[in-house]
Amino acid sequence: MPGVGLNNVVKAYGSTVIIPDLSLDIRESEFVVIVGPSGCGKSTTLRMVAGLESVSAGTIHIRDRDVTYAAPKARDIAMVFQSYALYPHMDVAGNMSFALRLAGTPRAEIDQRVKRAAEMLELTDYLDRKPKDLSGGQRQRVAMGRSIVRDAYVFLFDEPLSNLDAKLRSTMRTELAILHKKLDRTMIYVTHDQIEAMTMADRIVIMDQGIIQQVGSPRDVYTAPKNRFVAGFIGSPSMNFLDGELHGSGSKLEVHGQGFKIPVSKRMQITANAAKDRRVTLGMRPEHFAATANKDGKYAALNLDVDVAEYIGSSQFLAASLGGQPITATVDVGPDAEPMGSGQYFFDTNRMYLFDRASGEAL
Amino acid sequence: MKRWIAKSIGGLAVAAFAVTASFANPYEKYKGTTIVVSWPALSHYGKAQGLIDQFTAETGINVEVDALQYLKLRDRQILEMSKPEGEYDVVTWVVMWKGEYVSKGLLTPLSQFFTSGALVDPKFDIDDIADAYLQNGGVVGGKKGYMPGKSGALYGLPFGAETSIMAYRKDILEAQGIAVPKTYDELRAAMKKLGEAGIPAMTSRGKTGHQVTAGWLLHLAPLGGKIFDDEWNPVFNNAAGVEAAQVMREIAQTGPKGIPAFGFGDAAAAFLGGDAAFYIDTLKIAAMARDPKLSKIADKVGYALHPVGSRCGSETGGFAAGIPANSQNKEAAFLFLQYITSKKGDQKMVELGGDPVRMSTYKANADKFAEYPVILEQLPCADADWRPLIPEWNELNIDVLGQALTEVITTDKPIQPIMDAAAEKARAIMEREGYYAWKDVN
Amino acid sequence: MANAAISANSSEPSAPDGDRSVAKAPRDYRNIAPYFFIAPAVFVMLVGLVYPVFDSLYLSFFDWKIGEPFSKADNVGFTNYLRMFSDPDVWESIWVTFRFGFWTITLEMFLGVTLALMLEKPIRGASIFRTIFILPLMVSPVVVGLIWRYLFDARVGWINYYLGIWFGIEPQVWLGDAELAFFAIVFTDIWQWTPFIFIIVIAGLQALPSEVLEASRIDGANWWQQIFLVKLPMISSILVIALLMRLIDVFRALEVMYIMTGGGPGRATELLSLHIYNRAFDAQLLGYASAIAVLLIVIVTVLSAGILIIGNPMKDKSDV
Ligand SMILES: Nc1ncnc2c1ncn2[C@@H]1O[C@H](COP(=O)(O)OP(=O)(O)O)[C@@H](O)[C@H]1O
Ligand SMILES: [Mg+2]
Repeated sequence: MPGVGLNNVVKAYGSTVIIPDLSLDIRESEFVVIVGPSGCGKSTTLRMVAGLESVSAGTIHIRDRDVTYAAPKARDIAMVFQSYALYPHMDVAGNMSFALRLAGTPRAEIDQRVKRAAEMLELTDYLDRKPKDLSGGQRQRVAMGRSIVRDAYVFLFDEPLSNLDAKLRSTMRTELAILHKKLDRTMIYVTHDQIEAMTMADRIVIMDQGIIQQVGSPRDVYTAPKNRFVAGFIGSPSMNFLDGELHGSGSKLEVHGQGFKIPVSKRMQITANAAKDRRVTLGMRPEHFAATANKDGKYAALNLDVDVAEYIGSSQFLAASLGGQPITATVDVGPDAEPMGSGQYFFDTNRMYLFDRASGEAL
Repeated sequence: MKRWIAKSIGGLAVAAFAVTASFANPYEKYKGTTIVVSWPALSHYGKAQGLIDQFTAETGINVEVDALQYLKLRDRQILEMSKPEGEYDVVTWVVMWKGEYVSKGLLTPLSQFFTSGALVDPKFDIDDIADAYLQNGGVVGGKKGYMPGKSGALYGLPFGAETSIMAYRKDILEAQGIAVPKTYDELRAAMKKLGEAGIPAMTSRGKTGHQVTAGWLLHLAPLGGKIFDDEWNPVFNNAAGVEAAQVMREIAQTGPKGIPAFGFGDAAAAFLGGDAAFYIDTLKIAAMARDPKLSKIADKVGYALHPVGSRCGSETGGFAAGIPANSQNKEAAFLFLQYITSKKGDQKMVELGGDPVRMSTYKANADKFAEYPVILEQLPCADADWRPLIPEWNELNIDVLGQALTEVITTDKPIQPIMDAAAEKARAIMEREGYYAWKDVN
Repeated sequence: MANAAISANSSEPSAPDGDRSVAKAPRDYRNIAPYFFIAPAVFVMLVGLVYPVFDSLYLSFFDWKIGEPFSKADNVGFTNYLRMFSDPDVWESIWVTFRFGFWTITLEMFLGVTLALMLEKPIRGASIFRTIFILPLMVSPVVVGLIWRYLFDARVGWINYYLGIWFGIEPQVWLGDAELAFFAIVFTDIWQWTPFIFIIVIAGLQALPSEVLEASRIDGANWWQQIFLVKLPMISSILVIALLMRLIDVFRALEVMYIMTGGGPGRATELLSLHIYNRAFDAQLLGYASAIAVLLIVIVTVLSAGILIIGNPMKDKSDV
């Protein structure tokens, strides 16, 4: 299969195992985002694909070719680094054309490709500037441009937007998405920011401690997280987790915990009834709380002690507690509402998640 | 920096026994006085400590020694002697400095003391002191200012003085059937013969600068040469000077490897290490040859007179001691000076391992040290004027002769033009410094 | 402290555009502050650097012999300078210095950079090598001079000994032959100072951002291209500084030659600084030596300025 394949890849530094066993298939032209907390092994994985890091065991294929032991330049890849890694002694054109010059590409073609990439990235006016004379965003675009002129088979990005400010970051996210459409190339993008992952990815790979937790479309990982880690990692603000126990059976199944008794939604009943261990973790996303009862959906009324209500425009963010356990909620009350206080709030039980408390697996 | 003060203690107690009650003791008056002596931290002076202890024990005069590194000595002495009341009561100088000291009025003429019957030991016998040493180190103001002559006066007595002799390897000469050379012709023939046999002939200083000049000067005087004539015209490019240079070239060609890089230490080490058959330089080589730490050839060394060319002439050097004009204990200082250069003191220095200055001492010990009979014979013809003691000598020595002679010993170029060019430079220096001003008057 | 207390106690916080003088005062202090902090350094520079330079400039107009009080020295105007410009010995010495500088700096830069590139990676034993390489730097020049003087000794030196044993080469008078002595001091200088280049360059190489080097690998640069197109250009400012320091050092070098050859034979190894030393303290021409010292300062200044203009190490500073 064309694309990029990692088969049972292992990475260890001495006796420290960073990646125990990783397999992943990336389709041609796919935009895959690897996301996970800092230190989970994302960069290591990407760098193994790039050939900058050796593989302890397993194989890596790019476009059906085993490149496990190939040098970086022989893999037909381009890479954008978090620090941009521009050559400080070369101007923008020099930076972008370096690979082509090394490859002995004819001068005319180099000029043409640099020109095209510069136009695409709006860098035409800066071609003879040195990196130190550019702003952060411009440098970032030069780094992009450097990989674009390569016209490589795979583009690798290691947190390319982390050094930009929030506004520029969101603009660049969009530009990257457009770029992907235009270039129609395989892209592997590493980030610790789940918003970048959700907004850009065709498929998201969620990693923790060197292990892939879930692979799926943004919708999959948001609506059907495989385990408590994914559920907590995807979504902002993070999902609330409350310990509880299953009581009753069949359609009368309820989750009981400190300060709450919530009926298990129809969607969850079958799997929940099958659970051997009645000790569960209840997951509730903050955005699935409401100040008033939902008209059509099932809901559970909960008494929240609100500590702080933060105004964020049309909704309010509540830092509260339920039965003594901290809980957060985002309630859509309109831009003109007074700060919300303690009292009864409503949770949409159709949106509830249940996890086995011991294993963290979704029920 | 290396300043240490050695104090003789307990001198008084011993002195009490030494005094014989029936005679008036010339030292009695100065008992308990402390004099300060400034001299270099060199071997001869280190050994003199035994003599100082004896002096204090016998006279009751205490002596503090301020021994400084040789290079620091002059500045320190000038500083002390320029004060209204100086710390130093006795100073020693290298002959080079004597003119300056006297012209600045820093020294007391010794005639002030030699006229006092109470101070002078009738048995002192100044004529017994090697004349070359006395003239070279102690007399200032004669001919050219630094040589003996009617206008001269005595300012110091030699202490730690030396002359040049020849040392040779008895075994090598015997094996090669070479007689000990007495003349330069014989020496050059011997060097040639050794060179052809592949045996390094004569060691010598040869490093650029004053070292190579020093090597050449050793041969200049015996071959009849001089640096200047009486009117300060450079004459070292005459036949004698060129011959001395030729001798240097032959020495470098037939001697141990590396002469153009040799300072005195290297030259001596080559001889002591067995890499040379001949040595002509300071008599200090004898003591070094006897020292098993320095020498591999102790019992193979013979000594002979410095070879003669057109005349007999060895070098003189080393130190003399005198009394600063601003000393506060001049009489006691004179008694000390007289004591250490007396026959008894001189003999004691020999016993302590130092170098004597008296002919009688050399005679008395002639059977103990192989070089003494030679020195005894050498000293009467030692030359006090083997190089001019004028301020310009430094430049001439190092910049002019030091360079020219390096060219002589490291190249095959004709010697006469090299020496002529050097003489021209020398003349320019003398002209610049106004030495020819009398020409126009006369 | 006192100010803070007053403003904290004042019941009425002053408006941003309130009392002008109050608002202005702190700004002035801030302007003075940098000068305040560099003042000690400037002072030390003036006393330690500028004063001696001017002193030697002053001295160069006198004919002063060692030991004679300065008050007795004659003011001779530009005589010393006139003499200097027509003195072939001075020019010969400058020529020796330039030749010495050319050979030592070229070879030291080449060897130092090469060694640094070879030992940059954490290969086995690299740290031991690195330690051994920098040892010569820690030896005082006087000791270096003594060591090499004995190694090069014609009679008992190891160099002649082993050349003889291993290659059957006749003993050479290393320090007594014009060409060999020059070679010997160049060799010794390289032995002593290559580690300096090595240390500076290896520090520069190790400080290079690894991602830039990785980027060049991905861009397809091979080992040579990475060195010549990426690494060396990126440490060019360090190379310029190293070059400059070595160049100035060449004009300062004295002790090693003084001990090994004393400048000889002839003037074959008499670098300008040693020439000045010999003139000042051997020939005892203090005024004339000062004039030559002024010439040395001029030469060093011109060379340094030239290098700085060509390759200003501050020019490329940036946070990339
Ligand atoms: N050279 C190395 N030796 C040992 N451990 C390393 C090395 N490089 C990275 N690691 C470890 O590997 C883990 C994964 O690193 P990385 O892939 O950079 O994480 P991230 O997901 O933040 O990109 C981290 O815990 C890091 O400490
Ligand atoms: Mg990372």
